[in-house]
Amino acid sequence: MKINVCINYFLIFCFTLLFINNSYSQCKNFAKNSCLSNLKPFIFNGQLNNAILCEGDVAELSLTFIGNQSYRIFVCYQEPLKNVEFTLLDNDNNPIFSNKENNYINYWDFVSTSTQQLTVEVKVPKEKSINDMTQTGCVSILVGFLK
Amino acid sequence: MRFGNLNKIFILLFLILFFCNCKQGTNQKESSNYNNFVTSNKNIAGAQKVKKLFYNVPSPLEMASILSKAGVVYKPELLNKPENKSKYLTISQLALNFGVYGADLSFARLMDKVQEAIKYLSIIRKISDDLGIPQDQGEYTINRLEENIENRDSVLQIISDTYYSTDSYLKNNERADAAAMIVLGGWIEAIYIATNVIDEKNPDKDILNCIAEQKFSLNNLIDLINEYKTNKDLNKLAPLLLNLKTIYDKIEIKYSNNEVINDKQNKTTTIKSKEQIIVTIEQIKEIKKITTNIRKIIIQ
Repeated sequence: MKINVCINYFLIFCFTLLFINNSYSQCKNFAKNSCLSNLKPFIFNGQLNNAILCEGDVAELSLTFIGNQSYRIFVCYQEPLKNVEFTLLDNDNNPIFSNKENNYINYWDFVSTSTQQLTVEVKVPKEKSINDMTQTGCVSILVGFLK
Repeated sequence: MRFGNLNKIFILLFLILFFCNCKQGTNQKESSNYNNFVTSNKNIAGAQKVKKLFYNVPSPLEMASILSKAGVVYKPELLNKPENKSKYLTISQLALNFGVYGADLSFARLMDKVQEAIKYLSIIRKISDDLGIPQDQGEYTINRLEENIENRDSVLQIISDTYYSTDSYLKNNERADAAAMIVLGGWIEAIYIATNVIDEKNPDKDILNCIAEQKFSLNNLIDLINEYKTNKDLNKLAPLLLNLKTIYDKIEIKYSNNEVINDKQNKTTTIKSKEQIIVTIEQIKEIKKITTNIRKIIIQ
């Protein structure tokens, strides 16, 4: 009986290891498999911005918008994450756009009449879950430009 | 009693493993072996700490697009000679020049120099092989490029796919520093071309402003390179980039009449502002001198 309990715990331990390793492996190909096609007709800037984020985590992407060039910011994320927020901030950290005010849409297009240094801030909100477990998932920030 | 302790050990191990990738507000710097991120103590509005930071720099393709829009004329003698490829043996040399040749390829194609583009394409293919990028990731896109070389829009999309595949492969295989080098190589090549094309006696304002505006991209590039302090080749180039930054810091860019217009129907935001760039030809000459030096180190 005691041996069975030991084995059970060992199996739980192994499954947990597998789960964590699988999360990282899934994130690696997540952008390519699930997100890139949503950038079209914008041309992807080719730079991978993937991370595994938990509820309450914040990620930031620092980038330059060239004047009079159109850009698309696409924030792609895995379930069980929900309503991931993204905000575009200017060089003084003033918000220019927030998807929170737009039904948490996960993409938006931008054009600036002058070249600007900007930041995309991505926040995973804390949601009340039934089992009180912290949710985690892959989040990818993609940037495309129109030639 | 002994068995009770074993119970507790297993439960503790389970909890540690399950939650260890969800640590928040950590003060430790994580190794950048997965994507170009760092853990930071940066506060946002004094509320939450940033867990991941990314820095994007205009890719070689975007830089080439910027140059062609600014009216930079195509001068083949400025581009890196294909025969230089045989000199590049180390991962660093290959990655940096993948960026350089990538910018040359993109620029040649955007300027409709198809034969030149094909020449640079074959170089990119060889470098891709030398970097160990598997054929299913590199070959497929390069074959597509060959088949579509006459179609400009298709070519740009395929070049973008090639950069993504390469960036993704390198980052997923613990070589994010090489991915950063590609970006660095392409950026330097673009600035080199722009500063060498401009007429110093009668400078074209669009090209002048195009060079000046790269001030912001340079800051992001330096932040990106700083994440790979263990890479000795990047460490050699970092001080030169800081040198370049001292010139760029003197260039003033001012904004006025700022206005943000949101178009919910078209899901577009327009950031309107009037930009005033204060740059002198002397500053451009300095940028040219430093960039030419950095490029010489990269392509030699």
